[in-house]
Amino acid sequence: MSASAQIVVKDVSHDYRPPVGRVVRALEDVSLSIREREFIALLGPSGCGKSTLLYLIGGFLRIENGRICVDGRAVTAPGPDRGVVFQHFALFPWKTVKGNVLYGLERGKLPRAERETRAQAFIDLVGLTGFEDSYPSQLSGGMKQRTAIARTLAFDPQILLMDEPFGALDAQTRSLMQTELLDIWQKTRKTVIFVTHDVQEAVYLAERVAVMTARPGRIKTIVDTAFDKNDPQIYRARTFVDKVDEIWGLVREEAIKAQGTHAR
Amino acid sequence: MAHVTGVRDRTSRGWRNAPASPFVARIGWGLARSASIVLLLAGWEILARSGTFTPFVLPALTSVLERILADAMSGDLFLGASATLYRALTGFLIAAVGGISLGMAMTRSIGIRWFFDPIISVGFPMPKIAFLPVVILWLGLYDVSKISMVAFEAIFPVVTATIVGIKGVDREIIWSARNMGASNRELLCQIMLPAAFPQIMTGLQVALPISLIVAIVTEMLMGGNGLGGGMMSASRFADSPGVFAGIVEIAAIGYCLIKGMSMLRRRMLLWHQEALEPSTV
Ligand SMILES: Nc1ncnc2c1ncn2[C@@H]1O[C@H](COP(=O)(O)OP(=O)(O)OP(=O)(O)O)[C@@H](O)[C@H]1O
Ligand SMILES: [Mg+2]
Repeated sequence: MSASAQIVVKDVSHDYRPPVGRVVRALEDVSLSIREREFIALLGPSGCGKSTLLYLIGGFLRIENGRICVDGRAVTAPGPDRGVVFQHFALFPWKTVKGNVLYGLERGKLPRAERETRAQAFIDLVGLTGFEDSYPSQLSGGMKQRTAIARTLAFDPQILLMDEPFGALDAQTRSLMQTELLDIWQKTRKTVIFVTHDVQEAVYLAERVAVMTARPGRIKTIVDTAFDKNDPQIYRARTFVDKVDEIWGLVREEAIKAQGTHAR
Repeated sequence: MAHVTGVRDRTSRGWRNAPASPFVARIGWGLARSASIVLLLAGWEILARSGTFTPFVLPALTSVLERILADAMSGDLFLGASATLYRALTGFLIAAVGGISLGMAMTRSIGIRWFFDPIISVGFPMPKIAFLPVVILWLGLYDVSKISMVAFEAIFPVVTATIVGIKGVDREIIWSARNMGASNRELLCQIMLPAAFPQIMTGLQVALPISLIVAIVTEMLMGGNGLGGGMMSASRFADSPGVFAGIVEIAAIGYCLIKGMSMLRRRMLLWHQEALEPSTV
């Protein structure tokens, strides 16, 4: 497996050093390898360092301990090969929905007309047709989130780092977006790291689910979860339900630990 | 403060029991909002006519208005106002461009920050008018020295607002631009500048009245026409209505400038939260 690994995280620890207050160890000795075009989900209690891990792979934070390689090269800076959907959307508030989606395309090689068509296609895909000229401050939370998804998908990164990308969506929209994401993943051979709090979603979408421990975050276990994604009844299958229960138990343990450290 | 910050008081216009005609309603509310000014002016007129003061100490508002009208007809008002506005606005523009550039440079380069940071800290609270004698020695008594004084005084709020604005840009916004391949230069011009723009605009809104004030003060101290110079010569000739006319003219021009600036802000910050529904708190 390590031979074909595209993203290799090796013994990575990360400390936050806020200007006031004490040092926070967010990650400790995290190791993980992800194959090319694999779909892996990252689960773990709030505050365990999931976003931090994505930021490190994205190249936004300095890697002080350990090593992260993508396609055999050490990560030193952000790049459009690793498209990030940020947990808090990180839209440009002075740009319209269309302007936001176009921004990533403007640095690409596509001619202008094609950029427009492509942006529009992804706006349609996330169901924001008619809101092209709205500013983020005029959108609901879920609409902002979908704009962020469209923006990242539009510039076609080979690797998708998605930080709770469906967190602000209602159940119906979420289910539609899951289908679209799987469709894109199956058609365009992307590698996806998908952070979520929804165990069922993780089991359904991903081929493997990595469960993280309470802070400082480590990889607790990695569970294989390759189910048939084209089966609409998969949610009812015995094996699926058992898998969700198993992982739910693991996450719960850590969530309780995380609570305990707060209480003390 | 609502006028200055450009936050439109939408609640007053959407008032449920407003008269049927929106035009009448607008005029009505316009009057209601400026009621304190109207009262002040009425009080002035009554006091002046009551005979408590001689017309020399306090000329009646009507006679001052007559004087403004006469000045306007003869073209003196236009000449004075345009001289003052030319100095104030040229200085303001220099301060705006220079302040934004310097502020951006200071956030970009440690060396530039190291050099200018103490200068800004010392210079901001200092009364820059103290440099006037030096500026006169170096640049003379004409427009160059007045405009320099205006720019010198007005640049400080612009620099500090730019720095605060750029430092306050959300790191995830910067990261997402980087993620989409923005270069250093693109990051500065396409991301930092627009993201910091609400703050920068606030700095400019502080700098604009400062520019007008400094233009008038330098005119008063150095002469050379303009509204400030006109008031000083009126005072020398014991022309009481002339002095008061100057005050009213300056107030009106200052109000128009601030109003124009807040309209500009609304136009340029259409994307910003404040341009949408104003909150009730
Ligand atoms: N900028 C920061 N400065 C200091 N500490 C931080 C900072 N960002 C995160 N942390 C700490 O690092 C830990 C991990 O944060 P992170 O955002 O990675 O968690 P997370 O797993 O994404 O949580 P959630 O599921 O709530 O999004 C948190 O406990 C937090 O206290
Ligand atoms: Mg997070």
